[in-house]
Amino acid sequence: MSETALEFAAVSFAYRRALALDDVSFRVTPGAMVGLLGPNGAGKSTILKLAAGTLRPSAGRVCLLADEASRLPRREAARRVAMVPQEFTVQFPYSVRQIVEMGRTPRLRLLGTLRSEDHAAVESALATTEIAHLAGRAFQELSGGERQRALLALALAQEGEILLLDEPTAHLDIRWQIETLELLRRLNAERGLTILAALHDLNLAARYFSRLILLNKRVVADGPPSRALERELLASVYGAAVTVGVLGGEEHLSILPPGHTWQGAPSSLDGKSSAPVVHVLAGGGTGALLMRALADAGIPFSAGPLNIGDSDYALAERLAVACIVEPPYAPVSDAGLAAAGEAMRAAGAVLLCPIPLGAGNVALLDLARSAAQSGARVILLEPEAGSMPDREALLARVAARDYSGRGPALYRALLEAGAEIAAMPTQTLDLLTGVRDGLT
Amino acid sequence: MARQTLDPAAPAQAEQNGARAGAATAPRAPRGKTGWGWTRAVVAFPALLLALLGSVVLAETFSSVYIQPIVTAQVLLNATGLFAFPRTWPLTDETILLTLRLPSVMGAVLVGAALGVAGALLQGLLRNPLADPFLLGTSSGAALGASAAFLLPAVFATSLLGFSLLAGSAFLGALLAAALVYMLATRHGRTPVVSLLLAGVAVSALLSAIQTLIIIFNDRQGFLIRVLYLWVAGGIRVGTWEQVWVVGALVALGLLGALLVAPSLDVFALGEEMAAHLGLAVERRKVAVVALAALLVAAAVSISGLVGFVGLVVPHVFRILLGPRHRLLIPASALGGAIFVTLADLLARTIVAPAVLPLGALTALVGGPFFLALLRSAGRRYQW
Repeated sequence: MSETALEFAAVSFAYRRALALDDVSFRVTPGAMVGLLGPNGAGKSTILKLAAGTLRPSAGRVCLLADEASRLPRREAARRVAMVPQEFTVQFPYSVRQIVEMGRTPRLRLLGTLRSEDHAAVESALATTEIAHLAGRAFQELSGGERQRALLALALAQEGEILLLDEPTAHLDIRWQIETLELLRRLNAERGLTILAALHDLNLAARYFSRLILLNKRVVADGPPSRALERELLASVYGAAVTVGVLGGEEHLSILPPGHTWQGAPSSLDGKSSAPVVHVLAGGGTGALLMRALADAGIPFSAGPLNIGDSDYALAERLAVACIVEPPYAPVSDAGLAAAGEAMRAAGAVLLCPIPLGAGNVALLDLARSAAQSGARVILLEPEAGSMPDREALLARVAARDYSGRGPALYRALLEAGAEIAAMPTQTLDLLTGVRDGLT
Repeated sequence: MARQTLDPAAPAQAEQNGARAGAATAPRAPRGKTGWGWTRAVVAFPALLLALLGSVVLAETFSSVYIQPIVTAQVLLNATGLFAFPRTWPLTDETILLTLRLPSVMGAVLVGAALGVAGALLQGLLRNPLADPFLLGTSSGAALGASAAFLLPAVFATSLLGFSLLAGSAFLGALLAAALVYMLATRHGRTPVVSLLLAGVAVSALLSAIQTLIIIFNDRQGFLIRVLYLWVAGGIRVGTWEQVWVVGALVALGLLGALLVAPSLDVFALGEEMAAHLGLAVERRKVAVVALAALLVAAAVSISGLVGFVGLVVPHVFRILLGPRHRLLIPASALGGAIFVTLADLLARTIVAPAVLPLGALTALVGGPFFLALLRSAGRRYQW
């Protein structure tokens, strides 16, 4: 194996007249795992295509294991590099196995019959990506995450030394995103596969890639996450929007361990940090509308505890000033409870979304009650109980989603401690605006 | 890259999936379990071959003079040189069967095979369910070629190897039209399939317009329109064995080429960009596929005029029956197309005998309902 898997030497590329890449140079050593970051149009996909040799640079050289990529015969290039594209449609009802078998194309003989080593490679790729049970299904019928797996299997069956991925986590929910990246890391560590991936999620990039290249037609930064994700650099490359959810320094190596409070960046453009004035208890999508409404109204809020992979978690991570995180599917930990109690006290107001109540989270209601008793405002959101819900309608709804046995009693206690009822997120906002006015 | 599996559970999984039979065997790649298409193919291809043989016998049997099917079969088998049934029939029967009827029947077989394969090639390349062998301007090119032949004074006198001037110019017209479409769709060495489709539509319109002008400004207008109309409506026009050999050679060439590009067509289904990433020289493959399709269509057109529906429908039928893989789809479409056209031609000659119906009308009339029934019974499973 040569010392350099992939080398860009002063590479420029222009589509027609529009310059897509300007004097880009970097080297990737065999077995490295490198993430490409940058806004849309920064040239991430162009770099991948140049690396695969399907585009020829306007200037400079792209070397693939010591040979110039665009001069290699297509077949030879495809034996060295495999590409996992971002978007993918298949026109005919091919089965997953048939699709994965196509990964063997650059290694087949004239008539394209598969030999035993080809079958072995296909089986191995299906097993590694854990989709062997889907092998007989039609590719078109797979879910987004399963498709992504199948494409990865296709690329693995190709058995190249370098794996290129174009936004492998786009269109996936958070669980698939994490599983995909875990798989890539495993492939990198255990097989020494060289990985170059264009990424859009800075958080995940920072967590899974030891080296990041920040692009904006040129290489803006190249190094470990702490260096590549400098806040000023990001702000200059992405514009202001990126400051949401990204922090300076090392802390943005985010998705923190359970129970930690994640201090998010300010959502306002001026970068001035504002303390949360309300804490949101949500989960399972019950808080989605509310959190968006809060963010739209410019009301800073904290949220959690939320399980990683929960649909509210992904949103809270983007919109909330702070978010308390728990591992996937885990009950609320003691640390999480403590952090939530602290957040409620600090915010001075609590929004309780209609979450299903179970043994794992009912303790949060106790916390909300003590917050209410010590003077915090508590608002109970209950969209299902009619437009002007009364106590009885509310309690009936609570009983319907209670699996802990304590739900209705705790809600009753909350109401007695002065909690208010809101039927819609907008009503909540009306109630809350008073809160904020009171603070300022 | 090392090929061993990462997951200790993986071999067990592979075994579960594949080598179900021998529990004692080590986990190895399950051969043959590469999709249900192959198992069906084992049944389908012998069945198709038998059906084709049967269709040929039927087509030979029913015509103006009735000859018993058993006699037909024996004569045909003797003619292959592999069999030697003692002759129990008059020599005239043999002459009728082998010299008068068989060339025409073989013509139908070849036309069907050519159109079926051309349809499969173009549907695969264009990733379009409506793709039809006549899509790339070949039909109007052939029609224009045929019309142009009428401008020559010796149109009915000249012939070469049994081909009339009409057949020759239709053949050339189809090829030239496809070449023109391909050239017009190509820019900077790339030929996007959408450009190919659009150029095909535009060139077709242009050539049809020119054809109309030729007819309008011809002083034998009425005669020309009638002859052209019959020609366009399609029908097998083979008189000599030479014609069969020439067209047969072209079709064989096209079929062989189609089998060679078949695996590439599967990869094309993933999109051109992915095909390039999988090591295909995409533009060169595209030229090859279009050239093969044009050759097959031109060969068919020269002896049959425009026989529609076959190339559109036959590949769909076999995609439903055998799955989308082109290594199976292409030979199956060849056999299926041959059967279809042979039987349609038989019907065209016999339904209102002694009059002969236009073959193109018959293929649509018979094939249409059959295809619709199949499509409806396949239901949502068939996402083309």
